[in-house]
Amino acid sequence: MLKAERSVGLIFFPAFDWCITPDHPEREERLLYTRDQILEEGLLDIPGIYEYRPCVADDNHIQRAHICVPSVAKTVTKPHRIAVGGTMLAADLVLDGKVGCAFALLRPPGHHANRVVHGSRGFCTVNNEAIMVEHMRHRLGPGVRIAIVDTDAHHADGTQDIFYNDPGILHISLHQDGRTLYPGTGFISERGGPAAYGQTINIPLPPGTGDQGMLYVMENLVTPILAEWQPDYIINAAGQDNHYSDPLTNMNFSANGYARLTEMLNPDIVVLEGGYSIEGALPYVNVGIILALAGLDYSHLREPDWKPDALRQPQNVMPIVQSVVAQVKQQWETRLQEDRQEIFGKARFYVRERPIFYDTDQIVEKQYERIRLCPHCSGWREIYSHAAGGRIRRTKVAIVIVPWLACRSCRQEAMDDYRRLAGLAEFDQVFYHSCEEDVYLCTPDHHDPLTL
Amino acid sequence: MHVIGIDVGGTNTDAALINEEWEVMGIAKTPTDHGNILASTKSALEEVLAYHKDNAFVQLHLSTTLTTNAIVEGRGEPAAVVAIPGPGMNLAAFDFDFPVYLVQGYVDHRGRVVADICSEEVLNAAKKARADGAQALAIVGKFSQRNNSLELAAKKLIVEAGLGFSQITLGHQLSGRLNFPRRIMSAYLNASVAGIQKEFAAMIGQLKADNPILTDVRILKADGGTMGLAESCARPVETILSGPAASIMAAQALSQYTDENIVVVDIGGTTTDIAAIVGGEALYQRNGAVIGSYQTLVPALYTVSIGLGGDSEVHINDGQIRLGPQRAGKAAALGGTKLTPTDAAVALGLAELGECSKAIEALKQRAHGKFDTWEGLAKAIVDVFAFQLSAAIDEVYQRLENVPVYTVSEILAPPDIRPKAIVGLGAPARVFIPLAAEQLDLPWEVLPYHASSNGIGAAAARPTVALTLHIDTEQELMVIPELGVRTNINRGLLFDQKQARQIAVEQTAAYAQKLGLTDYGLIQIVEEETFNLVREFYTVGRIFNLRAQIRPGVQRVR
Ligand SMILES: [Zn+2]
Ligand SMILES: [Zn+2]
Repeated sequence: MLKAERSVGLIFFPAFDWCITPDHPEREERLLYTRDQILEEGLLDIPGIYEYRPCVADDNHIQRAHICVPSVAKTVTKPHRIAVGGTMLAADLVLDGKVGCAFALLRPPGHHANRVVHGSRGFCTVNNEAIMVEHMRHRLGPGVRIAIVDTDAHHADGTQDIFYNDPGILHISLHQDGRTLYPGTGFISERGGPAAYGQTINIPLPPGTGDQGMLYVMENLVTPILAEWQPDYIINAAGQDNHYSDPLTNMNFSANGYARLTEMLNPDIVVLEGGYSIEGALPYVNVGIILALAGLDYSHLREPDWKPDALRQPQNVMPIVQSVVAQVKQQWETRLQEDRQEIFGKARFYVRERPIFYDTDQIVEKQYERIRLCPHCSGWREIYSHAAGGRIRRTKVAIVIVPWLACRSCRQEAMDDYRRLAGLAEFDQVFYHSCEEDVYLCTPDHHDPLTL
Repeated sequence: MHVIGIDVGGTNTDAALINEEWEVMGIAKTPTDHGNILASTKSALEEVLAYHKDNAFVQLHLSTTLTTNAIVEGRGEPAAVVAIPGPGMNLAAFDFDFPVYLVQGYVDHRGRVVADICSEEVLNAAKKARADGAQALAIVGKFSQRNNSLELAAKKLIVEAGLGFSQITLGHQLSGRLNFPRRIMSAYLNASVAGIQKEFAAMIGQLKADNPILTDVRILKADGGTMGLAESCARPVETILSGPAASIMAAQALSQYTDENIVVVDIGGTTTDIAAIVGGEALYQRNGAVIGSYQTLVPALYTVSIGLGGDSEVHINDGQIRLGPQRAGKAAALGGTKLTPTDAAVALGLAELGECSKAIEALKQRAHGKFDTWEGLAKAIVDVFAFQLSAAIDEVYQRLENVPVYTVSEILAPPDIRPKAIVGLGAPARVFIPLAAEQLDLPWEVLPYHASSNGIGAAAARPTVALTLHIDTEQELMVIPELGVRTNINRGLLFDQKQARQIAVEQTAAYAQKLGLTDYGLIQIVEEETFNLVREFYTVGRIFNLRAQIRPGVQRVR
């Protein structure tokens, strides 16, 4: 009798009544053919593959990973809350031992959502994986080690932003080279903040990379890094836009390649990200991921138009892939020896400033951020964020964040700073978030700029 | 016209005669002659005809275990499947317990033929099936409900080759639902039991001819509806599990709760069946009936069977009582050797059955420790029965409330399906239903004729027909698999939801008419989806998926 080798919890939520706009890639139709293929293949009847209904996340869950300006209620819609709730459910199923692994096959996606949220960017508003990771830490304690491997064709800039100074997280993003694709980031040189240097790993791949190149990266880079870092949980942010038929990207992965990738990665939790070849790729890639997670035979899986010759990588691709792998590997191996003072300075704070563009909502944000270079913990930080454009008024907010496992003096300094900032007239709102204590403060509370 | 309902069950055969006023004129209960369903039918008919005092014509509604038993006991005709899977799941992994011969050919999710069948290969597969002993055949393709052309072409080849199959079932005709493995199993079972059903239908036809007052014979289905004799030969697999359906129909026919949400609890000796009625309509299984190891697409009423009944084993451990799931045997009061929940009820004077003293004696033998008097033990057993039953009911509703849904609106505003009353059937119902109702804080009702109501349920059942309509305006196609319809629609871009609904209703009505049905209820759209197809920022078409059915009515009985 057919049975999953490893039980899989499937949180399938295609949101058939939700779209960004009717002709947007994130529209009702996106997972229609995936639904049809999953049902027709009979996957949901296989013992060991269980389907679950997502739950709805509340403000508190979302605020563990995000500062939503002006409030969660004003930025996050119900469909987003369901996607977040479904992703958190995936983690709960695994943590409760109800299933061996779980797949949150749902939309809308989230990996372009940064910690500070003024609106939507890259079709994302809030970061499903990041909120789930914070949820897991609140269940498991601050010591848990979680690796996120993002296999979407776009750089997971939002997830990177949220965890870039977080020593508990290893974030690996495989993607099409940022010089050729949105969001234009994710270079090898982006390696993480002062407290987690080397734990942000970017693997930019040249356009045209196919199964061969991807499997080379998995075998020679991702798998060895994971084996060395020894995460307690592996999360795969499984975007499917590396597929050869994707309209937005220029990569050459196949459904079978994605299944093989899943098998090699052996993730505890898979979360769907992008992927907009809704007829030619998603039905087959998703079936492939489910089969691979369940330990079932996916060798008969291929796309209707699949032809081995057409999918061979261009000649020049493999040498570039090999060179990227070599560089990243070298960086990984030397990450602990590097002089962090030289990189982040000797001052009390490390400062970075950057613009952030919200393509979906046409918002421009400017961030000034300083992180305390603390010898005892990963350091509290302060962010000033100015945003304008799209449908929002010019907004200026200040944010104070106390990280997990913060030392006493960082907690104290952060609280003092929050009180000081909250007293200033300069900011429309001032936020305070202490991760471990699960405290979220805002002055003025539920501020609405439109009523000013 | 009167209606006689007969349910030939595994143990007993229940029959009921209903008059024009929908009053029960008489019921009969006889032991089933397991080896001879026709004889059981005849004797039940005879008994209940004793109440038939005038010359009114009679319509016979018949529910039997014929196909169910044939499947469970593996007595169907040897059958095989020629499958057209295309790429995807490895079909061999399913390890079907019947021969499946794979041939090439590939239809995708939009119903487009990606690869054709190969005539020679199909013929060789069919010849091999025949040579391996198959007498009946099913031909099933992946996504054949979106495009039946490969199945039809394969059938044509095999029929023309004259290989002598007694029956060829095509997958797309049985169900428009998506699920290739279930379609394979349904079609296989259909092919396998077709011969048995044909033979039985011929005998029932003879019975009708011999009894001129019988005007029409209807066969019960797993969805609680009826179909004609001829139809039952074409789709015999739909007659499985009609007994449990008859019991739910009886509850609906007899209950004072007509349009509310109720939970129907049929307490038997070994098991208790729990069914959910929402807004006056019984819930269906999400995909289809499951019989033995076969998962099918046969529409079936939703029931959950738990191992708890009047004859359940009583376990006492560390002052904790647990009942079932095994059967202890007949009650001590009736001469059995082991204590049962029935004995506890009899001893307490809650039920009259057999010898009370024997029940008390059985209780005394087990009365120790925490339960050191027979009264205390009896009371505790009855309470535990009610507790286990109410917990099971609660679990059923929790499961139903967590059935996955695919829209935001369904998540945010789920319908209220929780029962407003508990309705009981079965011999022990009078004892245990009021106690379970107290636990659940619900009003209760134990139905009249509750000990043998399946005949009434069979009589009260009305015809059901369901169709699946898939319209793809980009391809300008309309498909109704159950009818074998695959036609062009003109001016696809102008086609709208209203038209889709209208077609679904018209086609269902036409289908009902073709089947000779006249007394059917309203036609309703039970599932509906519409998607805009956008390619390169332009809307190029729409997909409509609809499911229409005759409202599965039930005749209320007094
Ligand atoms: Zn992407
Ligand atoms: Zn510190």
